[in-house]
Amino acid sequence: MGKDKAQTVTDAPRDPQDVGYTLPIILAVAVHLAIIIFSLINWPTSSAEPDSSSIVQATLVSTETFTDQAQQVTEQQAAMNNNAEPVEEAQTSEPEPEAEPEPDNQAQQQQAAEEAARQAAQAEAEALAEAQAAAEADAQRRAEEAERQAQEQAAQAQAREAEAEAQRQREAEAQRAREQAEAQAQREAEAQRAREQAEADARREAEAKAQREREAEEQRQREAEAEAARQREAEAKAREEAAAEARREAEAEAQREREAAAQREREAEAERQREAEAERQRKAAAEAAEAAMQRQLAGEAEAAANAQQAQQAANSFINIVRRAVEQAWLIPPGASDSLSATLQIRLGPSGELLAASIATSSGDSAFDRSAIQAVEQAAPFGELRDLPADQQRNLRQINLRFTPGDVR
Amino acid sequence: MNDNTMSIPHLIMSASVVVQLVMLLLVVGSILSWVVIFQRSIALRRAKQEYNQFEESFWSGVDLNELYREIPADDPRHGAEHIFQAGFREFNRLMPKTRNADTVLEGVQRSMRVAWSREEDRLTQHLVFLATVASASPYIGLFGTVWGIMGSFQSLSMTQQATLATVAPWIAEALIATAMGLFAAIPAVIFYNRLSNNASRLLGKYEDFAEEFHAILHRNLQGRDGKPSAS
Repeated sequence: MGKDKAQTVTDAPRDPQDVGYTLPIILAVAVHLAIIIFSLINWPTSSAEPDSSSIVQATLVSTETFTDQAQQVTEQQAAMNNNAEPVEEAQTSEPEPEAEPEPDNQAQQQQAAEEAARQAAQAEAEALAEAQAAAEADAQRRAEEAERQAQEQAAQAQAREAEAEAQRQREAEAQRAREQAEAQAQREAEAQRAREQAEADARREAEAKAQREREAEEQRQREAEAEAARQREAEAKAREEAAAEARREAEAEAQREREAAAQREREAEAERQREAEAERQRKAAAEAAEAAMQRQLAGEAEAAANAQQAQQAANSFINIVRRAVEQAWLIPPGASDSLSATLQIRLGPSGELLAASIATSSGDSAFDRSAIQAVEQAAPFGELRDLPADQQRNLRQINLRFTPGDVR
Repeated sequence: MNDNTMSIPHLIMSASVVVQLVMLLLVVGSILSWVVIFQRSIALRRAKQEYNQFEESFWSGVDLNELYREIPADDPRHGAEHIFQAGFREFNRLMPKTRNADTVLEGVQRSMRVAWSREEDRLTQHLVFLATVASASPYIGLFGTVWGIMGSFQSLSMTQQATLATVAPWIAEALIATAMGLFAAIPAVIFYNRLSNNASRLLGKYEDFAEEFHAILHRNLQGRDGKPSAS
């Protein structure tokens, strides 16, 4: 027994202390390799937790020039502020409210014109002159269009009404213009000519005025065309009056509001632009349906409809760009919320970044640089290739506005 | 795409030469310390098993002379066996020369102490290296970090505008050195404590065994004192 025990002892490894070093070395290297592989596999997933984009707000300003942008913003805001809901309803869905009686329309239009004129009287002299002229042109054009459509439809009664409306409106405006006695010669000549030429010359006068104030005219013309299309379609369905009336009223109020907003604009421009951005995006969805409708109905409105569709597609792309840039943006620690920089970005055909430059500096160079870096980090924007070719061309150059804001 | 530039291998590759050397040193230290950890763990476990086996056979009632003879003289043993061998050899050599029990026991004790201290040296071999890695590698890593940050600030002074984005990769790659130092140090500390504790416990058992063996010899001498006088 004891011998067996002793035998096992002698059979055991001779030198328990002198364990070979090969096995420990292999084990140690294996441990290190395992750790390295583990860290390599784990690292990207652990570090890839997405930054919350809540800190940052990068807003797309416009694909067009800044003056256009400002006008669009003010118009839209004005339309939003004073009861624009009826207008939007009329635009998006087929106008539910049935045709209101004609006298009401006339009375409302008269009131609208009077209010517009009253507001204009309060405005500054030069701004007032221009704005009133614009209002006149609009009213005349609207009346002319309504009449022309009525003729096409062989509805003479409406033509007469439209004439009466236009005349009444023009008279009221001309009288007030005379009363104000500022830059009278021009405005009186216009009013007289308008009265003389009546429905036939209305278009010529509108064009003459449109030349004078082209930027504002373009906007308004597009809207007028859209409205005309809707009007004709509504006439076919015997509902045009409600829509047209609501539209006209909203237009007049919008103009009034725009005049008032022009004064306020300088004070609260940044805030309003941000708001208008949200509004425009919300509106874009509504306008898409309207655009489709218009395209079917009116050849005239095709241009406007195309523009709206392009805008919608652009908005979706711009949203993608904005989100990418927001996530890549590291705001410098010292930047205050009041800073805002506008970047001009040029993209290549496949969405790669060609150039990013500061269009409007925030005054803080670190802030500007962080914005440029954000764009460079977020590039390329491969989604550009998914868009139609003509929209791609429009979106090659976009402006991004950087504002460190709150959670959106 | 951002992850790629900030991944650990990329950072290590783009670090400066000194920092890379520090990292290399730390990697080597870590590998060696793990070699020591594995080697010592295996060795201590075997020594413990062997001690248990020997203790079992020692207390199984076998004759000590037989036990001693079973151990070949030219085959040096370790652990408690070594102590037993040294003590018993000394006992056998002294017995014919002197009749004084105290002298014999003293010689046996001395030889066992020598054997024990050799065992101690064997068991704690290389553990000092673990202690060195454990205490020094954080400092080495810190040195690499400081050096890297120094370089980053020097190159930062060349640029016109310094943002966090330009400094961050430098600091990250410098901090890797500290991370590696800690990575090498932490297992070294843990296993140094564990292994040295194991070794000291084993040495304590050897000591106990030596004392017990000494007691047995002492008892035998008391018995033999009568015998030689009787014969």
